[in-house]
Amino acid sequence: MNMFQIILIAVLGALVVLTVVAGARKSIGRPVAVLVLVVLTVGILAAIDPDRTTVIARALGIDRGTDLILYLMTLVVLQGFFIFYLRLRKVRRELTLLVRRLAILEAPGAPRPGAGPRSNDPPPSDP
Amino acid sequence: MAIPALNPNQSDLPDFDPAVAADTWIVIPVYNEGPVIADVIGSITPYFRNVVAVDDGSSDDSWEALQQTDAHPLRHLVNRGQGAAIQTGTDFALRSGARRIAHFDADGQHRLEDLWTMTRGVAAGECDIALGDRFAGDTSTIPASRRLLLRLAVLFHRLLSGISLNDVHNGLRVFDRRAAESIEITADRMAHASELIDLIAHSGFRVREYPVTIRYDEYSVAKGQRWTGGFRILFHYLVGRIVE
Repeated sequence: MNMFQIILIAVLGALVVLTVVAGARKSIGRPVAVLVLVVLTVGILAAIDPDRTTVIARALGIDRGTDLILYLMTLVVLQGFFIFYLRLRKVRRELTLLVRRLAILEAPGAPRPGAGPRSNDPPPSDP
Repeated sequence: MAIPALNPNQSDLPDFDPAVAADTWIVIPVYNEGPVIADVIGSITPYFRNVVAVDDGSSDDSWEALQQTDAHPLRHLVNRGQGAAIQTGTDFALRSGARRIAHFDADGQHRLEDLWTMTRGVAAGECDIALGDRFAGDTSTIPASRRLLLRLAVLFHRLLSGISLNDVHNGLRVFDRRAAESIEITADRMAHASELIDLIAHSGFRVREYPVTIRYDEYSVAKGQRWTGGFRILFHYLVGRIVE
């Protein structure tokens, strides 16, 4: 086992511990925790016995195990980007709501939120 | 910066009715329009006294300039985009008892005459939502590439929303109160114009387009949308439709 394998296994092992703790504290959902653990476990197994990935890759019609890992990595990274993009959208949306609310609260002579007439108490009708 | 005088005599606004104008709140989203914003607002307030100007986190002196005007100044502490600024101004105006809401661009490209014609139309019950249509008016001033981009946007909406409009990205709009209440913009950035068209198409309100003339001077052209902006709008709009 070379130096790189040892480092990789140590890092992945640390991530396993972090994921288990996060899952136990419910800071991430259970399905996410399980999925991450599966990915990490596969990573550790592949680091221990890299040749085995080639066996699996062949079975899937891919020549080399490294290619299989590369494809899987690509999928995981893209999925990660997409999840972060959705999160970012949500945070932006929330920021907008806050900024808009603040603008109205700070307006000079601002009507209090909810105090103004709404259409269900109709303003005087048009001539 | 001097902008061309857009301050007509009262007689240039046919059948001008101060009561109708006073019930109509003009919402102006402002982003880095320091050089022109005071002139633009100053040209409106003699006729429409209720103007809400929303400074959308400008980095120039727009906010200071707004203090010198007769508009109600509101401020986004962080830039959140034109759609957000319009919605803030609309909320403020509705809470202040507005009977009608108008959107008006801060860069001086809209004409007061067109604003009044559309306001009068909504007040007279010709429609619930009046949209500006620059292609029905004098089109000779519209730059060719801008024209093509806008035409593509129109085609896009005809295919996607089934709404048949001449001009879908015109910033001059007038809403009856009920229509303004029921339509809430959630797209922060320029995709809000597309989102608005969708909302309008599905709202059931009566829509009418009015010919307007857009003033394309150096200032407004430099600040307008380019092709890259068009593609960015398309991307945000499509993702928004899929994930929300």
